[in-house]
Amino acid sequence: MDINDADDEEFGFSRNYFLSKELGSSGKKSTHKLSDINPVDEQELREAIANIEPKHESEIASLMNSYRSLYSKWAFELRHVLTLLLVDLFCQCKTLEDFASATLTEYGVLVINGYLQSINLKQMLIALAELLWGQLKTQRRTPSGNSSKVQQPFNSRSVDDLLAFLDGPQVEGDECLVCVVIHNIDGPGLRDLETQQYLARIAACSNICVVASIDHVNAPLLWDKKMVHTQFNWCWYHVPTFAPYKVEATFYPLILTHGGTTQSVKTASIVLQSLTPNAQNVIIFNNLYTICRERFLVSSQVTLNSHLTEFKDHELVKIRRHSDGQDCLYIPLATEALEKLILEISQ
Amino acid sequence: MSAAEIRRDRAWRCPDMRKQRVKDVLRNINADAFNDVHCWVQSSFNEIRSNGMLDRAKATRPYPIVTNPISKQLYTGLVFTKNMELFDDLLTFEDLGLHLKSRGCHVANLSSFDFSAKNGIDGCLRGLLRQFVKTSLDVADMSVLALWYIDQGDYDNPVVVIIDDLERCCGSVLTDFILMLSEWVVKIPIILIFGVATTVDSLRSILPSHALQCLSCHKFILGSPAERMDAIIEAVLVKRCSGFSVGHKVAVFLRNYFLRQDGTLTSFVRALKDLSSERPVSLPETVLKQLFSLPSCRRNGLVEPNEEIFAQGLADLKRLQNLWSSVVLCLFEAGKSHEITLLDLYCETLDPELHHSRASDHHLGPEAAVVMSSSDHHVHGPLQNHVFISQVVRKVRLLKLSLIRDLPLVSLNQLLNRWEKHTKGIIEIHEKVRELQSIVKFEDGKALKRELTDISKQVSFFCAFVLSYINTLKFCSIEKRATSLNSEGKYETQVITMVFAPYYPQGLVTSPGWLQAQGLYPREPLLLFHTATVPSTKRLKTRSNPSVYKNGKAVNEKAAALIDFMVEKYMQPIECIPYHEIICFKNVDKLQSALMGDPRRTIQVDLLEFHKFLKCSCCSKNSNIPFPSMHDTSIMYMLTQEYGDLINLHDWYQSFKATVLPPRIKGKHRLKHSPSPKKRKEAKESQNKSEGTVHAATTGSHACTLQTDNIDIMTVKFCRAVTELQITGLLRMPSKRRPDYVQRVAFGL
Repeated sequence: MDINDADDEEFGFSRNYFLSKELGSSGKKSTHKLSDINPVDEQELREAIANIEPKHESEIASLMNSYRSLYSKWAFELRHVLTLLLVDLFCQCKTLEDFASATLTEYGVLVINGYLQSINLKQMLIALAELLWGQLKTQRRTPSGNSSKVQQPFNSRSVDDLLAFLDGPQVEGDECLVCVVIHNIDGPGLRDLETQQYLARIAACSNICVVASIDHVNAPLLWDKKMVHTQFNWCWYHVPTFAPYKVEATFYPLILTHGGTTQSVKTASIVLQSLTPNAQNVIIFNNLYTICRERFLVSSQVTLNSHLTEFKDHELVKIRRHSDGQDCLYIPLATEALEKLILEISQ
Repeated sequence: MSAAEIRRDRAWRCPDMRKQRVKDVLRNINADAFNDVHCWVQSSFNEIRSNGMLDRAKATRPYPIVTNPISKQLYTGLVFTKNMELFDDLLTFEDLGLHLKSRGCHVANLSSFDFSAKNGIDGCLRGLLRQFVKTSLDVADMSVLALWYIDQGDYDNPVVVIIDDLERCCGSVLTDFILMLSEWVVKIPIILIFGVATTVDSLRSILPSHALQCLSCHKFILGSPAERMDAIIEAVLVKRCSGFSVGHKVAVFLRNYFLRQDGTLTSFVRALKDLSSERPVSLPETVLKQLFSLPSCRRNGLVEPNEEIFAQGLADLKRLQNLWSSVVLCLFEAGKSHEITLLDLYCETLDPELHHSRASDHHLGPEAAVVMSSSDHHVHGPLQNHVFISQVVRKVRLLKLSLIRDLPLVSLNQLLNRWEKHTKGIIEIHEKVRELQSIVKFEDGKALKRELTDISKQVSFFCAFVLSYINTLKFCSIEKRATSLNSEGKYETQVITMVFAPYYPQGLVTSPGWLQAQGLYPREPLLLFHTATVPSTKRLKTRSNPSVYKNGKAVNEKAAALIDFMVEKYMQPIECIPYHEIICFKNVDKLQSALMGDPRRTIQVDLLEFHKFLKCSCCSKNSNIPFPSMHDTSIMYMLTQEYGDLINLHDWYQSFKATVLPPRIKGKHRLKHSPSPKKRKEAKESQNKSEGTVHAATTGSHACTLQTDNIDIMTVKFCRAVTELQITGLLRMPSKRRPDYVQRVAFGL
């Protein structure tokens, strides 16, 4: 890599950026609407996606197979560098799990699915500590230090204590006993700074080694220099699999269903049907407090407001400021959708 | 060298050993500073102890003991790291902790993480107790620490708390911590050590005055990053028997990585570690055949598999590598005063092209090299390489010149002593260095003798002059002829004339002060004229004695000739030696990808050039245009390149559809028309025949067909591709303001 190469690259980036901006603004903007494409039912679409026939199946299989020859190298790296990071395009689960089951047999392995929406870090630490404790027991090494500490169950210990245990001097030399396999370390459940800091501290523990995969182009932005250079110490590997994101994609909204009329009607009807009869009446007539009162739907302004707040929370009702300054309530559904909704509710 | 020896040698390349070596080097560099810190800790501890010791009952009381304010002083060591990034020194503070522990101190290493506003004072106290008491406690309290300290038995060892990154600590938490410790210092002899990355002002900006008043500070300064870098390079890459080497390109990459990434030693050490875990070439048991197919062997005409040649080759490799490393270290020693870093020197001396060009351009003479070096260093294209090569030639030349002109005999002697150390065990050079050393010693002794004679002569001459001056009080001139070598290597004679006159206020040679001290006061001005450039007695003395000067220069010239000889003959870059592939790591791309990853680029390349990975015959031919057989997400991403920063979803969908479904067969792929499995298979085959490479999208399972009879397969594929691009972060999904558009995030590789 040369200085000039880097300069050229930087120049290329900025040039491309401005060119694309220019292209976007100068060209005639397309007026086509997304709604011109027939929206589809999300559930059906997800099922259809799961059943798409894969392209290049044999090539993908042989590509995945070719990675098996790298396993010994990865295991070697893992023993010395302690952390591996697989830059990934497409689902990495198979490769990682295959690697773990084929090579990491002498380690205790904990698999973390970073693509899940939320991950309990404390539970993860407890699981790791228990795994390490089990490993130590099978190798007949009792942790040095205070024995009373061992007596205390892991789930009642603090996070720092657990980390201290994982980083403990139980093992001679640099041998590590537990391997954490993290699918999508840049996934939604692990994306916040605090979690990444804890993950970095876990990676820096002497008894732990980490194998992780990333999918997002901006994943390195999650880490600061301290984390990168002194804690994670990633050894990067480029391992594209071209296998579809089957599980990961289920946590993302699908484009042609999002905001579609069918979907809104369905959601709205589910919410409405779960409301109390009085609240249902309020939303259906969506009228003034007086009307509600006349009909004995609500007894006070407070009750009406509490109903409205709930509707607002579920986006059944929205508020718009009228030109005369008054707040107006409206239902953000198209007329046909509304008709359909009333029909469904009244059934 | 036998195969067993090769394997044993390979053990040198073991990453653990290398890691340990780097650690040792860093520890040794800081050894003096660590010893200073320990001495200070010990004296501070003695000071605290002089205030008296407490008994168990008093010491463990949870409330403070009323004492004089002096006993509330916390002895604080400020260790200035001189680094841009503090994490470069995290290991240093760990080592400092170990060093103090080995001297009997109780040490806790805390970081800014323990002093966060979120955890508060409780967090740092817990951190402290965790390291000392080693049990988890329900209530964190200082009395626990006091009790623990008493339980340690004697009151002989101080408690040292090291906080490695002062600037990142939360000020209020640190203030509380300091105030609390100052109350307890009489019970527990706590000494603080702060790692400071910036200046002493940072302490003032973080802590309020009442906390500062509790601190009694002492400063320590660690070795500079440049010194440490040179030491690491020497120990890991240059020193003999490292059994491991890198090619020129890798060395240049390492240098650039260090200078461009963040200039931190940690990143460089990390790169070295990654490098260490790489194996230069795989050595199977049937090594011989493979070894003779190495490019370096073919280049050198070694094509016949012969065990003897191979053994000799390996022995030569080791010998030449040792010679090279000795010469580099000698050059570095000579260049130290010229601010030549070992990193630069290392990179340049590894360049095989330089070696070849030096061999071929030798007859061109020095002028050619100097002319080339004076040109612009940022020239692009092929010239750049020549310029780069010439830099080291210039440097060597400069070194030679500096040796000839400037180096005094004493410094030359010191330099030769260091050379002697570096060349130990290398007969070819060591003998010559020893020879030169003896000449220098002889000359030095002779010079000393002459100097003494000169001084006595000068003194007698001066006394005679003063006497004549006192007697006559007239103008007096002294004329001296000095013969010396000029810059062009010719002898020239300078006439030095000194005229003394009584009114001159501050004579240099004949000082009026001296005269006054003798009780003599000149009545006339004293004037001094001379043609020599430096009007010092020493210079005049040297000039006045051309024979010594000539002899000294002769030794310097010999030293210069020796280094020239070493460079010419023994500085053979590793890549020019046969079998170097065994110990030399040259794959810069591999290192770069292991170190940097660059997912932004990598993921895009995967999408745009996926056929390179899959190696399918159907897509390789039409790699630059979207083709139906391609991976759906790749097609989609290729199509995005045609748009600006915003992509109309509808248009994108249509172009995707048009790409995947050529017009002829459009409409046949709706799942609702899905035929029976048999028919589907036939359809697929016929389609494959007609399209060559088109994969039918209609072969979904029967269950799928039943459930998705309303969904166009194109929609399904489109939706999946969009989601996949969203997961990789290459797209931003439609916003409420722009519901029909997605936004591109990456522009170009």
